[in-house]
Amino acid sequence: MALKDLFEKDVQELESEGILMTSLAKLVAWGRSNSLWPATFGLACCAIEMMQSTNSRNDLARFGSEVFRASPRQADVMIVAGRLSKKMAPIMRRVYDQMPDPKWVISMGACASSGGMFNNYAIVQNVDSVVPVDIFVPGCPPRPEALVFAVMQLQKKVRGEAFDEEGIKLPMVEGWSR
Amino acid sequence: MVALKSTDTPPGAAVPTGGQTGAAAALEAMGARRHEFKGMLSYTVAPDRLVDALNEVKSSGFELLSDIFGIDWLTYPGHRGQRFTVAYNLYNLAAVERIFVRTEVADGEKLPTATGLWRAANFMEREVFDMFGVVFDGHPEMRKLLTPEDLDGHPHRKDFPIGETPTLFNDGRYLDPAAFRASIIGSDSGLTGWKGGARKGVRSEQELELVAHEVTGQSGGGE
Amino acid sequence: MTVENAGYVARTTAVERHGEFETRHMRVNVGPQHPSTHGVLRLVVDLDGERIAAIKPQIGYLHTGFEKTMENRTYQQCVTYSNRMDYLHGFAHDLAYVLAAEKLIDARVPPRAQRIRIILNELNRIASHLVFFGTGVLDLGALTPFFYTMREREKILDIFELVSGVRMNYGYFRVGGLSRDVPDEFVPMVKDFLAMFPRMMEQYRDVFVGNQIFIDRTRGVGVLSREQALDYGLTGPSLRASGVELDFRKAQPYGGYDDYRFDVPTSNAGDAHARFMMRFEELGESMKIIEQALEMLEPGAVRDPDRRISLPPRSELETSMEAVIFHFKLVTEGFHPPRGEVYVPTESARGELGYYLVSDGGSMPYRVKVRVPSLINLQALEPACIGGLFADMVANIASLDPVMGDVDK
Repeated sequence: MALKDLFEKDVQELESEGILMTSLAKLVAWGRSNSLWPATFGLACCAIEMMQSTNSRNDLARFGSEVFRASPRQADVMIVAGRLSKKMAPIMRRVYDQMPDPKWVISMGACASSGGMFNNYAIVQNVDSVVPVDIFVPGCPPRPEALVFAVMQLQKKVRGEAFDEEGIKLPMVEGWSR
Repeated sequence: MVALKSTDTPPGAAVPTGGQTGAAAALEAMGARRHEFKGMLSYTVAPDRLVDALNEVKSSGFELLSDIFGIDWLTYPGHRGQRFTVAYNLYNLAAVERIFVRTEVADGEKLPTATGLWRAANFMEREVFDMFGVVFDGHPEMRKLLTPEDLDGHPHRKDFPIGETPTLFNDGRYLDPAAFRASIIGSDSGLTGWKGGARKGVRSEQELELVAHEVTGQSGGGE
Repeated sequence: MTVENAGYVARTTAVERHGEFETRHMRVNVGPQHPSTHGVLRLVVDLDGERIAAIKPQIGYLHTGFEKTMENRTYQQCVTYSNRMDYLHGFAHDLAYVLAAEKLIDARVPPRAQRIRIILNELNRIASHLVFFGTGVLDLGALTPFFYTMREREKILDIFELVSGVRMNYGYFRVGGLSRDVPDEFVPMVKDFLAMFPRMMEQYRDVFVGNQIFIDRTRGVGVLSREQALDYGLTGPSLRASGVELDFRKAQPYGGYDDYRFDVPTSNAGDAHARFMMRFEELGESMKIIEQALEMLEPGAVRDPDRRISLPPRSELETSMEAVIFHFKLVTEGFHPPRGEVYVPTESARGELGYYLVSDGGSMPYRVKVRVPSLINLQALEPACIGGLFADMVANIASLDPVMGDVDK
């Protein structure tokens, strides 16, 4: 996103917010989108494909996810990679709560998004019932390229360039609330 | 440090005696029932003779306990006998033989633990307890292994429902997976209207012609 | 049903008195969300300073109910489930399951299908060991070898994608053979890989096998004697590192493994270093098997031609009514094996793997019990870690190579 675009759009938003704060908010959003650090939450097979997306062929680090932080307190996005069992669900909620704002969740794979091929007593049928999910990635497992695309979509969402299913623009990430 | 050896017994290892024949003799002396199927040998003993039987088998050279597992015969067509079978899968390294020692228990009965003979039995017996509810007396840590603490019941029992969530499609259709699959099970016509070839476990006339192999003379294939 | 607390679930550790001092072991919880536990493994560790006094693995955080789910699917549909258990060596589970089902139904698998199955199984074993090395030394602090091993793994995954369309969690094996034949590029691609891989193994030797820090961190750590290993039911490379020569590919050959000449590496050291090196040597042995299988590969059918098991080819459906009937029955209902129980022990990258199938004559298995190696191997973590340092626990977990999908089923 060129800095020139930032300043051109600000002319329209002059009345509502004021030049400095809006452009600063956009700068912060741009910075946040380009350095999303995932928390390691690999559960099952999707975790292996998540690892493969960080290897030298499909390099997730060039999109800003330089390191996968083991501690959730240092992470921005939680990639739920794999089937979430009902025993693990409270722990996942706790890890999500430990992440500082702003935080996002990518539900990777069919099992995290909908229970996948496991429709039984042990698997949570949609991770969205435990944590609020921003991006769902289909696949069993999704290719590393699919995960990279999901991260790119999340970046668009963070910057306020994404639309939901009704065509309404999703808001940019808050700059100053936390 | 790394030696590529041929298949001899390593020096210094105790050479146990008996093998399958030794174990067989000892078990039959105990009154065990023998069963052989496609090269697999299994003996069924009474629960009170279980530890003795396992001891005999271990001293005949079956040093590796491969597995302990349970089978619930509740919906098995034509099964006569107790509800659960707990089977011990034992392997003899020197003689390259495998033997299964089985015992039958009813719901609520307890079994003696095998952790005194093999420490490997620890997790295995906990899993049988978790999945079937068979308690092992003398186990150092008799509690669940795999399922969450708040799950009541024992999932691998046949009367424990699989817990399927109905699928809701975008256009408002609700699909209950069990009803959708009922035609395969054959218990009713399900959503397809076709009543499947045969009920689970029961052979129709067509089946008997199609399947070439018949296991002769058995009431319940796994006893 | 209530269970008496059998002594373990004590709230705190015991207090010891040394004169006026009161000391107590520190209880630390490791996981289940932890970078070094290879998945969702939770360990409750009692520490005496830096030494481990007690360690108890708590598992079940990935319990998926595979066995119960497979009891509600037809035999052919179960193949989709089996490789998701041990997702790193998925073909081993697939192979173990289809061999058990084929033994039950007395299917005759054509030799070409057997050889291709073995080639894919061994390639997958190499891929699994590469992940083992990559993540194992990553836990010990070496960040770079991960990228080296993953680079080779990508080449193997390209071969799998060529054959089945998926990089992981394949649906390629069927009861009776394979779902379809391999494309023409398969053999040249595997040959290229085999030509390239020994050079990469030399690179691994330089990067981590010969690395003094790696040797210092793993030599003498977590020693398991032969008796301990057998007592705890350990199998696979970890057992072979303790001096027991047990490899089911040699001891009870299955699926055509008796056609190949290969050695089984063993060691008497029993420590983490030996467990790591066993898998390194196995890379070479797997390559030998793949070379021999490629030489012996001949054109032919890839599925059991028996129409009661395998779907008829689509061209036959236009001309033959019986083919249509067989197709219909197989797709809607599946085949019906005779009553009985079978167990076929196989060797996965982690140890003895076997599917115990109980059939009641219906189209779905009555009981599926998977003898998973990682669950049983995990019990050996206790004797390996007790008395050692806390930092050595990481080396021990890495060297035992548990995969939590395999452990929790």
